[in-house]
Amino acid sequence: MIKSVRYVLDENFNNLYRIYSIAKYDLLSEMRESNLGAFWNFAHPLIQILTYWFVFGLLFNRKGVDGFGYIEWMIAGMCVWFYINPCITKGCNAIYTRKNVVTKMKFPVSILPATVCLQELFNHVCILSIVFIVEIAKGARPCIYWLELLWYMPLAFIFATSLSMLTSVLNMLARDVRKMILACMRLLLYMTPILWSINRVAEWPVVTIIMKANPIYYIVCGYRDAFLYHRGLWPYRHQFIAYIVITLVLFVAGSCLMNRFKKMIIDLI
Amino acid sequence: MAEDYAIKFDHVSKIYTLKSKKGKKKTKKRFYALHDVSFEIPKGEVVGILGTNGSGKSTMSTVLAGISEANEGKMYVNGEQALIAINTGLDMQLTGLENIELKGALLGLRKHEIDKITEGVIEFAEIGDFLYQPVKKYSSGMKSRLGFSINLCLDPDILIVDEALSVGDRAFAKKCMKRMTDLKEQGKTIVFISHSLNQVRNFCDTAIWLEGGELQMYGPIETVADCYSTYVEGLNNLSKKRKKILQDRKFERRTLKEDNRSLFERLFN
Repeated sequence: MIKSVRYVLDENFNNLYRIYSIAKYDLLSEMRESNLGAFWNFAHPLIQILTYWFVFGLLFNRKGVDGFGYIEWMIAGMCVWFYINPCITKGCNAIYTRKNVVTKMKFPVSILPATVCLQELFNHVCILSIVFIVEIAKGARPCIYWLELLWYMPLAFIFATSLSMLTSVLNMLARDVRKMILACMRLLLYMTPILWSINRVAEWPVVTIIMKANPIYYIVCGYRDAFLYHRGLWPYRHQFIAYIVITLVLFVAGSCLMNRFKKMIIDLI
Repeated sequence: MAEDYAIKFDHVSKIYTLKSKKGKKKTKKRFYALHDVSFEIPKGEVVGILGTNGSGKSTMSTVLAGISEANEGKMYVNGEQALIAINTGLDMQLTGLENIELKGALLGLRKHEIDKITEGVIEFAEIGDFLYQPVKKYSSGMKSRLGFSINLCLDPDILIVDEALSVGDRAFAKKCMKRMTDLKEQGKTIVFISHSLNQVRNFCDTAIWLEGGELQMYGPIETVADCYSTYVEGLNNLSKKRKKILQDRKFERRTLKEDNRSLFERLFN
């Protein structure tokens, strides 16, 4: 087990430039495909945010949460989802989409999940700029708490990579994994308190605890704290422990599978 | 005699699982792509691999390149091997120059190493002003030339060339041969897989003849090539019926008995 983890970490840290290059040129190639290129990196999330805001903010007329307006409260959490969602859906396909590279050259397969998550990180920064504009327009002012993003963003990256590590190998064993994940994504969105406040389930303490143990919700909380609540890192320590445990389990399981099947992946395509 | 071989196969077998359906009963057959192959290639030798279609040449090349692992037996490699893969890793949307960087990175080069080979690749591939055009605008010959050049500018100890020289026009093929001859003179070990008996005859010192996944012959090029061509001619002169019987018999010999192992065993073996 320790050998597997060391192998995956080794391979990832020895290939930093490779990871960076693959992510960079993948992004470039994706942008070249359309005429407007990078414009869509901004437009796509913007349209989605407007949709959710229209449905929940206007039609359902949600009141603000904890004294903050609904739109700025929702968007601060939603931008995390816009990062995690493509990371999970593309991450489980990370190895499969590179099948012609993996089968044709000696290639460190375990770096592929990281390349996908790094690529999405760029999109995330684009989205964050929109979030900054909205928050400032809604009255937030730059402050020291915004630096918390530098803590939560890498955590989101690590979580997404660990999860993709596991799902991408499982997806090689059975292509059904991806179908299942795609089907469950919408469920995951609504099961995570992103569009609704966790106070709504306050009557069921067990449900609250389960919700809070969700690593995605920990990062959502962190982003909200940075933009709105300004409470610092300490109040979220219990959630942080849950995050660490879950991420470690995912990473170790992913590494073991990766190590186990690294030479067989070509036969599984 | 520890260090004088480049590649050593020690009773290597590679098994694929075939699904077959007879009536309603589903059975799984296991099929030997390579069966008990042993040989030793000395350093600095140029080896051709001959064989009819489906005799295990490509499987051999992936095993040699370290992409896939043998199921039985062991392979020992002295030095670093590289499979020359022409069109892999080229991205249609990116320009030639970007592709050089991307493919270099995919192959695991560092930034300064890529800068060093870029000049040589451009010169060798003869793509001229197309360097700044997206690869999708290239002719297929140009694409292969670019891909091939990047591979040739690497500096591995052991080169594995699989049907690569059938690309490009005569002039380029000649240039490639010249480059390979240079590499040969530098004392690299080259494994050359081709259907063209002439190319193999002219270029290689020794040859391996694979038939039905088994090593038929390994020796000086002239002897093996002669035997092989007599065999192919003999095969061509057979009547259709005879050929079919021969093929079936060969197939029968390569399949193992039914796969009775449980799912768990299959996953972890």
